[in-house]
Amino acid sequence: MKILGISAHYHDAAAALVVDGVPVCVVQEERLTRRKNDASFPLASIEWCLTHAGVEPAELDAVVFYEKPMLKFERILTTALRAFPRSWRSFPHAMKSSLGDKVWVKGIIASHLGVPGKRILFTEHHQAHAACAFVTAPTKRAAILTADGVGEWATLSVGKGERHDDGTVSLDSLREVHFPHSLGMLYSTFTAFLGFAVNEGEYKVMGLASYGKPRFEASVKKLIRRTADGAFALDMDYFEYHTTARRSYSSKFVSEFGAPRHPYEPLDPSSDAGARYADLAASIQKVLEDTMVDLAASLHRETGLSDLCLGGGVALNGCANTRILRESGFERVFVPPAPGDAGCALGAALLVDRLHFKNPDVPCPDHPFLGPPVDAGELTRIATEDGLSVENVADDAKLVARVATELHAGRIVGWMQGGSEFGPRALGHRSILAAPHHTATRDRLNHEVKYREDFRPFAPAVPIEVADRYFELPPHGARLARFMSGVFPVKPEHRERLLAVTHVDGTARVQTVERSMCPLLHDLLGAYGEMSGLPVLLNTSFNLAGEPIVNRAAEGYSTFRRSGIDVLVAGTSVVSKRAPGSAVPILQERKESR
Amino acid sequence: MVADLDWWLFRLHRWIWSDAHRRARKLLRFGETEADGGRDLARASELTNDSRLRRLYLRHAQDEHRHANMFRHRGAAVLLALPTRASSTFEANWLAPGERGLDDLGVDQQADDTLLAFLHLSERAAAGRFKVYEKALSFDPSTQKLFADILRDEEFHMDYTRRELVRVSPKKHGWRLFSARAHRLWKGYLRVATALASVMGGLVLLVQYFVVLPLFALLTKLAARREPDGWVVRPPSRSSFISQYE
Repeated sequence: MKILGISAHYHDAAAALVVDGVPVCVVQEERLTRRKNDASFPLASIEWCLTHAGVEPAELDAVVFYEKPMLKFERILTTALRAFPRSWRSFPHAMKSSLGDKVWVKGIIASHLGVPGKRILFTEHHQAHAACAFVTAPTKRAAILTADGVGEWATLSVGKGERHDDGTVSLDSLREVHFPHSLGMLYSTFTAFLGFAVNEGEYKVMGLASYGKPRFEASVKKLIRRTADGAFALDMDYFEYHTTARRSYSSKFVSEFGAPRHPYEPLDPSSDAGARYADLAASIQKVLEDTMVDLAASLHRETGLSDLCLGGGVALNGCANTRILRESGFERVFVPPAPGDAGCALGAALLVDRLHFKNPDVPCPDHPFLGPPVDAGELTRIATEDGLSVENVADDAKLVARVATELHAGRIVGWMQGGSEFGPRALGHRSILAAPHHTATRDRLNHEVKYREDFRPFAPAVPIEVADRYFELPPHGARLARFMSGVFPVKPEHRERLLAVTHVDGTARVQTVERSMCPLLHDLLGAYGEMSGLPVLLNTSFNLAGEPIVNRAAEGYSTFRRSGIDVLVAGTSVVSKRAPGSAVPILQERKESR
Repeated sequence: MVADLDWWLFRLHRWIWSDAHRRARKLLRFGETEADGGRDLARASELTNDSRLRRLYLRHAQDEHRHANMFRHRGAAVLLALPTRASSTFEANWLAPGERGLDDLGVDQQADDTLLAFLHLSERAAAGRFKVYEKALSFDPSTQKLFADILRDEEFHMDYTRRELVRVSPKKHGWRLFSARAHRLWKGYLRVATALASVMGGLVLLVQYFVVLPLFALLTKLAARREPDGWVVRPPSRSSFISQYE
């Protein structure tokens, strides 16, 4: 049975193809169109999935959209009516946007793919999140908690999932919190207030939080009230996201927290203004964590289950995930590599496979490398044309030794191997790697490679076997760190040698690398460990600010040439710059042309 | 032609740039435009099979990245020097746009020669426009110098795109330039028409909002009062995969 899952139209469009119950291709549209957070209907992703798997659209048993457009439209219209007459600005915009294409999803899918309408199915947004979290996790039964900005009506849901002995799967949603009360929107409102882009800058708020103290916690708690039944409700007087698209916080919010930060105002946490922003970030982070931990703990008490699957955009908050693992009572916490809306494409396809068609459960790959593979030949051709010398190192051991030597010499390496990762994190197939020891490396990465803010941390990758030697992992913390979903303290005795990956509060967003999941990176960590005495590498996503993670070798090459990356590895091909950080041939070209 | 028009509108440009709040916002917006342009050119370098063009596009992308930083830094400096926040957000972007003006660069769909022709026209228009801005900014020497510096790069971009167009399409480069001009005009018309349609559609919806919706709004507000906060318990098997309504 062949099922195509699609997410689109809000943010992070993606397509996923599930064949006989197993995900075979999953890719985010942005990786192919090169437009960051591309939300358009994912034609390129669909085309790649079908071509790669050799499936014609007519062979698809179902095409599943990740949410119910009409329910969503109902919520948008109802929200506008409830906010009448304050919603007069946003109403025309919302109607044009919804009626323009978003409610006609069935027709759009049918016209693009030529599949009959009866094969087009719909899941609920949070059901898709739940399925992505549970069906891909190696657990027999688990509680499920999903939280994001908003789906149709739900902003947070709790439920249970179970793999039965007869091979069937059940997913029961128990309760939901409905819009406008939303933890995701609460956090995003602070993201906007702190001058960062919503749906993009939430990582920055989390990074900034470590520099501050939660001295505004009491004020933030005025915004969110715990209800008698254990849920929460926002005081909507502090928000405007339900009445206008112009801004998400109200004048009352500004009265409570002071002036918002302008997006271009320099952010230095050591300055007075910067410290205030950091304290605000720390306060919202603390309130979010406390609320999530409390919700998870009560779900644990209610279900008595030992495993928890987390989904939705809020599950990208590694600090909250770690506190849930430590404090909620659950023994294991599973977060998929793409818990956000992109993951819903996969979740929707799996949900329909297991629940609608009632196909028997089969294990899903426990890795995110289901995207387009890298072509070493492409890098060889391009670099040779540009007059750079290319080495073809076909032997894995030699390649690993060669790259480890470069890293040990302090060079920054662009590393592309196999299929690209699904989800926002580079986990060893489209990564920039560097030595983790010195702050100078971190500064060089920030200023010459990633072009991003100084306060943001970089993540370490470490072989799973030795992870707890360097990081304070709680029981089953290594599982949470498999897809970089948790933040853990660096052991004090190693902090001096892990300065580039140790955040200001002594923590790191660790990736534990298992050989079966990522053999080359695992070997590279081992080889680097033999040279340096520390099998840890800095691992950050292979992209520049404002760009999606690279996909093809040509994109890796373009990034390599435009940044301070010293060495580029794509498959077996290795290219180095003539001098670290330079772009000599391009500059010569320009001189000649003048 | 556009540059000539800009010279005619010199006094208007001077007025647009004279307000420090607006100047700061425009510079910051120009920074975003340059950054976007840089990404488009990086994408062009990834798609072309012509190695010489790839190198030039990469160089051009790096220039745009540098310009983006220059605009951002200057914009932020102007903004931070101001005592208060602006009350108006009017930026006059239609009258005084950034590098790409009102052009919409579609890198993915274009062949090398078509893209070069488009880039050449766009860069030429930008160079003309930036010359006007440079003159209009005589009261702000730092910003004036910024435009002067960027202008030098724009002239290089204008030259190389023309030269490469002749190399890539030796017999049809004139036709390519003509088509690019016609295409820009057509796209410009489409953008104006779409904007107008959007305004008209917005007005119709706004009339409906105030005429049709008040009663429904009242009923919805009354219904909302009866909804308790907190958990909404889901009945089992509520959802159907076939329907998009439930």
